[in-house]
Amino acid sequence: MEEKRASKQCGGVLAFFIGVLASLVIGWWVFPQVIYSQKTQPIDFSHKVHVEGEGMDCESCHTFMEDGSFAGLPSNEQCAECHEDILGESKAEETYVNEYLNKDVEVPWLVYQYQPDNVYFSHMAHKGFECTDCHPDVGNSDTLPTYYENRISGYSKQTMKMWQCERCHAEVGTSNACYVCHK
Amino acid sequence: MQQIEFDTKWTMVVDIDKCSGCGSCMVSCQAENNIAPMEDGSNKLKTLTWMLVYELNNGKEFPERESAYLPRPCMQCGNPACVPVCPVVATTKDEEGGIVSQIYPRCIGCRYCMAACPYHARYFGWFDPIWPEGMEKALSPNTSTRPRGVVEKCNFCHSRLMDARARARAEGMDPNKLPDGWYKPACLEACPTGAISFGDSKNPEHKVHDLIKDKNAFRLLESIGMDPQVYYISRRDWVREQSDNHLPKDKH
Amino acid sequence: MGIDRRTFIQLVTGGVVGSLFTPVIWKSLDDAAIWSQNWSWIPRLKYGQITEHATISKFGPSPCSLMVKSVAGSPYVAKGNAENEMSKGGVDAISAGGAQLLYSPSRVKGPMKKVADGKYESISWDDAEKMLSEKLSAVKGQAGKLAIVSGDATGTSSEVLSAFAAGMGSKDCYLMPGDEQAAAVALENMGGSGQIGYDLDNSDFVLLVGADAMNSWGSVVRNQRVYADKRPTGGDIESVYVYAGPFLNSTAAISDKWVPVAPGTGSIFSLGLAYHMLNAGASASVADFADFKTLVMSRFTPDKVEKAIGVAPGVMAGLAKQLMSASAPLVISGSEFGQGAGAVDIIAASALNMLLGRVGEQGGMKLLADLPLAVDAAASRAELSSRDFAGYLAAVATDKVKAPEVMMAYEANPVYAMPQATTMAAAIAKVPFLVSFSTWMDETASIADLIMPNPHSFERFDDAQTPYGVGTTMLSACAPVIEPLYNGKSTVDVILSVASGLGIDLGYESVEAVLQAKAEKAGADWDSLVEGVAYVSDSTESDSLKFAASVLSKAVTMPKGGEIALAPYAKLNVGSSTMAIPPLNCVTVSKFELQGKDLFVQINGKTAKKLNASEGSTVKLSGAGGECVARVHINEGVMNDVIAAPLGFGHTAWDEFSRGKGDNIAKILTVGTEPGTGMAVWTSSFVSVA
Repeated sequence: MEEKRASKQCGGVLAFFIGVLASLVIGWWVFPQVIYSQKTQPIDFSHKVHVEGEGMDCESCHTFMEDGSFAGLPSNEQCAECHEDILGESKAEETYVNEYLNKDVEVPWLVYQYQPDNVYFSHMAHKGFECTDCHPDVGNSDTLPTYYENRISGYSKQTMKMWQCERCHAEVGTSNACYVCHK
Repeated sequence: MQQIEFDTKWTMVVDIDKCSGCGSCMVSCQAENNIAPMEDGSNKLKTLTWMLVYELNNGKEFPERESAYLPRPCMQCGNPACVPVCPVVATTKDEEGGIVSQIYPRCIGCRYCMAACPYHARYFGWFDPIWPEGMEKALSPNTSTRPRGVVEKCNFCHSRLMDARARARAEGMDPNKLPDGWYKPACLEACPTGAISFGDSKNPEHKVHDLIKDKNAFRLLESIGMDPQVYYISRRDWVREQSDNHLPKDKH
Repeated sequence: MGIDRRTFIQLVTGGVVGSLFTPVIWKSLDDAAIWSQNWSWIPRLKYGQITEHATISKFGPSPCSLMVKSVAGSPYVAKGNAENEMSKGGVDAISAGGAQLLYSPSRVKGPMKKVADGKYESISWDDAEKMLSEKLSAVKGQAGKLAIVSGDATGTSSEVLSAFAAGMGSKDCYLMPGDEQAAAVALENMGGSGQIGYDLDNSDFVLLVGADAMNSWGSVVRNQRVYADKRPTGGDIESVYVYAGPFLNSTAAISDKWVPVAPGTGSIFSLGLAYHMLNAGASASVADFADFKTLVMSRFTPDKVEKAIGVAPGVMAGLAKQLMSASAPLVISGSEFGQGAGAVDIIAASALNMLLGRVGEQGGMKLLADLPLAVDAAASRAELSSRDFAGYLAAVATDKVKAPEVMMAYEANPVYAMPQATTMAAAIAKVPFLVSFSTWMDETASIADLIMPNPHSFERFDDAQTPYGVGTTMLSACAPVIEPLYNGKSTVDVILSVASGLGIDLGYESVEAVLQAKAEKAGADWDSLVEGVAYVSDSTESDSLKFAASVLSKAVTMPKGGEIALAPYAKLNVGSSTMAIPPLNCVTVSKFELQGKDLFVQINGKTAKKLNASEGSTVKLSGAGGECVARVHINEGVMNDVIAAPLGFGHTAWDEFSRGKGDNIAKILTVGTEPGTGMAVWTSSFVSVA
């Protein structure tokens, strides 16, 4: 009788720990993969070709305007300054010129750091930081990182959360007033 | 509540004698702040007019009648009544310059702030904003769209302040010491009669610094102590007298 | 080992406990909270480069030079263009929402032909032009068979239209009614040439007789800017403004003084002032001065004037004295609602400027030289302005003139906006083939046989020369800010193409070429015009004018009195004669003008008692050609025996933002004929109230 109970207890503990373990595996390994869908950029853009091959730097395309606003991603107009016709032999360039530029459609790039409309972000105000402090370091890579989209919230995995903004603001002594970031 | 004193104080001065009530400011405000057009604009309980032009008159009979127009944005009170009543801290007065913020995703639509505001400057979105087909392409990048069920109000076109600060940074200037005229709300830019002046009233280089000390300058309901950052100017006694609830024997 | 119930529960418990040490719950909750803020049913904003482009909008009563702000190429807000002398950085309440108007539900999206009443079918531009050409070729060379009306008094496009009419053998090319018509006729009678202008910028005392300078008279936005500059906030008043009119409108509200004067009696008021000036020794070395003096001293004595228009002799004498003691006084006269005034109103006010020695002077009344015509066969501006469209339509209505076979309306909505609207609409209905070039599905387009939409102001080439009222000759032009959103085509291009098919050579291939030629002939630089800088010229005509005393003698008649006079007024936020209430403007409409679908008219307490009306009560107003239903708002800013009523309501076409709101006061305007000049006038309309 006694033995039986002990063995049962032992089996119970085992089941309990199996449950815990399964949860941990799912929670830390499966869940983080399942919650994001993976998306690839519309064009297999190579920064390396532009930076190393053509000697361009980040500011050639991701420029600040005179009024302090940031152009962000280049538009067709800027790309067309060079790519009016197909320059090289890559498939990606061919796709860009034929499918977007010639059809006058802007490329729907997936923005890794996409913020909602109620956030006002000034790149000029954060000019003292390295781009790569926040953005993926794509400057020297031939491929673009996979874009992970949160299946619930719809945001990019890399989108900075409000607490991250606030923590940094607090650390460097910048105001955390609502209107410093919101609109 | 402790009143915070800021180094800059964005201040609007409205010359009532110059306002012709033409409505350009109200239209421009809606365009800048993505307020969807309302079919029945005469239902003033449901409309969203961050900037609203009131009609005043001296109460006398013909031919002694005089009239005036009073544009009313949010007063950005130094001692706002709306802020302490907000249960979710969706509205604050905590940023340099003194503009009272309103964060739409945080607002739960309880409307305590609307009840508290003595200037009726706050509006509740009774309906989802619906633009006629295609008109959403003319949305301004400067103000986020709001769903129904939250409170909204004028914020002196706050994004334009951020833009001006970015420009100052780009030109190597102090973003907290903007030159006069760099930061202009949409209503000011639209006003054809130049009735609206705007600037930092704590900066002696800004025009409003002196305007608020004009002998004909006043604020609305000054006696209740909200300390608004919007001033009015009128040479006409009857206009100034209507700015507060005076008893007949009061001096003003 | 089998799994019994107990083991299972332990497993699940373990799973739940374990999950508390994983991000599953917390991350899901957090993401769900963020998801709840996504509001997918609300449009997202568009981002990109912010650009500014200059353009001209012609939505209001006068052209307005704008800077349009666009984000990633999409216009979103318009502000005034401070570099432009024509509107001096101001923006009117319609143009301020110009970007949103690009997407107005009322836009006509492409050429259409009528297939049945109210039913339209889209057709191609080729077919539309073919259809128009066929109709026109049938009437070519025959007088009276083609009529054209343009609502654009300043554009070179109207030159193209009038030259085209001439090529077609038609004399019936008109402008929509405006104050420039009375001014042109007045100037002709006074023996002057060019265009009457007023140098408000340099005047220190402005008397506005009827002319509602802040809403409907002259170059409204520019007037507002000049007013603002002359009265700096916190500074000294550099220019005094006095408004004389029947209603405390916004011009009166921001003037230093309002002198109540019965509607449409501006000429009597001016001549009443002339009496006091003549008495004080004012004179002018003009041929018919003696006749003028005799006329005024006999017929416009203070007591007669008081009886006619209700202004006390003391007020008149005081005002005359103020005018004479000012260093740069200026008298401006016009209709209280921007149309329908008689030539005598302008002549009488000009007489005051002559007595004051202000003609051709700085800060006075100017006679501006016209810019050279771009199209040789076009009518001169003076000629085109003086033509009487209301008179023509009235004659068509009564069959005194045969209705044309083809009528073309450019930037004009005559079915809605003409005085005595019902009568005029009936006259237009007699036209077998009506063509509308409107950008909008307005009242005229919605009965037209063919609609050939002109692009929106931001999508087209356009120009504007010397708007009526400004003090110098000037020219502005603009190029498209964006590519046309819909299938519109510039009317000038349509006309040029149709004309060449009919063998009429207008000398140009495209609208751009016409406008460039205009600029070149004027001596202006096209590139800087397109960048938003106006060309300004000081050139003026001879300033010798006569009083036209014989015309005054015939044309000024004293009102009988005892009737209820209508004082219509136009407010910019409500729209204009070419624009119904724009979507963003609905909330700007005063609750004293519109509540729900009810139009409000305004009377003072004394008149209300007389009419047995009270606040909110419904009245029916009847004029010669129609009736309107409205409710009453008691406003002590209206003269006795006067009903002030807003124009711009009661649209039957357009969209939900304007359709069916209130009633159209233009229906109860009564068109009369001015003795002496024969032109149609309607500032003096009387109504019966029930």
